[in-house]
Amino acid sequence: MMQEVLRLQNLQKSFGSVRALKNASLTLREGEVVALLGDNGAGKSTLIKAISGVFPIDRGDIYVRGEKVSIRSTREAMDLGIETIHQDTSLAPDLSIARNLFLGREPVNLKWLGVFAPLDLAELRDAASALLKRVGISKKLDADALVSTLSGGERQSIAISRAMQFAAKVIILDEPTNNLGVEETHGVLRFVKEMRAAGHSVLLITHNIHHVFEVADRIIVMRRGEIVAEQTVADTDLLTVESLITGADLSALMKRAQ
Amino acid sequence: MVQQVMVQQVGAVTSEDGAGRAKGRSSLMRSPQFSSFVILIVLLAVFALADGNFLSPLNISNMMAFLPELGIIALGMTLLLTAGEFDLSVGAVFALAPVVVMLLVQNAGIDIGVALLAGLLLCIVIGAINGVIVTKIGISSFLVTLSMLLIVRGAALYITQGFPLKSWDQPGFFVTLLAGSFNIGAFRFYTSLWWFIGLSLLAVYVLRYAKLGNWISAIGSNRNAAVARGVPADAVKIWLFILTSVLAGLAGMISAFRISAASPVAGTGYELEVIAMVVVGGTALTGGRGTILGTIVGALMLRAIRNGIVLVGVPGLAYNIFVGVIILAMLILHALLQKNAARS
Repeated sequence: MMQEVLRLQNLQKSFGSVRALKNASLTLREGEVVALLGDNGAGKSTLIKAISGVFPIDRGDIYVRGEKVSIRSTREAMDLGIETIHQDTSLAPDLSIARNLFLGREPVNLKWLGVFAPLDLAELRDAASALLKRVGISKKLDADALVSTLSGGERQSIAISRAMQFAAKVIILDEPTNNLGVEETHGVLRFVKEMRAAGHSVLLITHNIHHVFEVADRIIVMRRGEIVAEQTVADTDLLTVESLITGADLSALMKRAQ
Repeated sequence: MVQQVMVQQVGAVTSEDGAGRAKGRSSLMRSPQFSSFVILIVLLAVFALADGNFLSPLNISNMMAFLPELGIIALGMTLLLTAGEFDLSVGAVFALAPVVVMLLVQNAGIDIGVALLAGLLLCIVIGAINGVIVTKIGISSFLVTLSMLLIVRGAALYITQGFPLKSWDQPGFFVTLLAGSFNIGAFRFYTSLWWFIGLSLLAVYVLRYAKLGNWISAIGSNRNAAVARGVPADAVKIWLFILTSVLAGLAGMISAFRISAASPVAGTGYELEVIAMVVVGGTALTGGRGTILGTIVGALMLRAIRNGIVLVGVPGLAYNIFVGVIILAMLILHALLQKNAARS
């Protein structure tokens, strides 16, 4: 069995009187793609925001490689090797690709100057070009180009390569194929497979169940703040998964209809 | 002459900053600060031709005395706008800070150094309040700083009972530091010009080359993305509000010491003139894109317009019509350039 990378135990989170997360537990192992499914309001976003440090959890434990951790900020999550790619909001359009790739982790000279330290512009450009080449999108893109000039798929690729570059243990993708064209969507799914091949663990949040069957190893279904099912892709089918998401027994309905 | 040298220097820096980029010349030509720069040159040429006194040593000295006072505030405003916020209370702070300093010195007999320190502390507090309310409570900076404008201006009027303070003219280290003057040939310059040049260089460095500048642009461009990358967006914004307030107070003190008097109505309307300088220079009002060089060009432009229009005989009361028209023309030009760039 592959080594465990991330384990969540009985996470709870309430917003006022709304219990967005009730006792959510899950385990993510090295080099696997786990799809997190659920209808709107099922608690998927709350769960990933808790893991990526957007807000603190009320109760429960988070373990990274078996060690108990507390994640109080996005910075701490990144330092633990958890990279999150939020839908549409991961990049600053007015900055160049290179500056976006290293945002928050800029290579600098004279480190003792703190936030006033000068950027190492040569290193920034070289590292960005090398990265773009490695992920196979150097042909079209210039590291100095502004992100506002890129297409949606190109932006998603940049965000994903950024997560890969920092050797993240866990990469969380929140609706990565939203608003993308067919070809761009396939590009992103190819990226997900590459990430798995490179040993990253991926937590994929999506509405598109077809994508799940294409790339995921395991499926976790959430409903009303709880994890209601966990299945390996090989042992399930589309209809079963849809029933789990909606809570209605669709296969029984189908049988009755026949 | 000196005006020309200044202009050449600005030009040199502009081209240097473009040379670093991959696209070099063409992107430089299309950059907003370049078009502003061209228009500045045209304006200067028109005024110089229309009135021979425009480039006289006396007039240039005059312009250079006023330029830093609004220019210094504009530097802070550029950084703040780039981070996606703005500050309408700068004109009021420009009045209150020197009023408090002068009151402490004249009425309480406090040492000028201590009084200046108290004035700066006051600016820090005002900026911090602006910043904390905007970031932590989440009210738009327009509303917060509009209220602050009223509070600060009201405070200045109340503590002075609406009258300008007695003139105060005792030379000393701090007075020389803020408003000393010196002659170069036929030109008379104030130390405030050095403040403006020094602060401009610092601001260019921070915004273009420092890690902090990357953060500022990222916050203004897409705050959520910056926060997701671990950038402390709220802290950066609060410090920028503080910086802008402090620079407004500093400018107010420079101005008050230059004319040896502090008035509670000084700087009325400066907030809008400063924002005009910044956006005319090419900084986006919506955040994400800021240029200090553009702001310097914008500050020079508004100063030249204000001065030149009077020289060529436009009635003083018509001044704002021209300023408004020129600002609008600049903004239309920027918008057209932006569209062109997007298309190509």
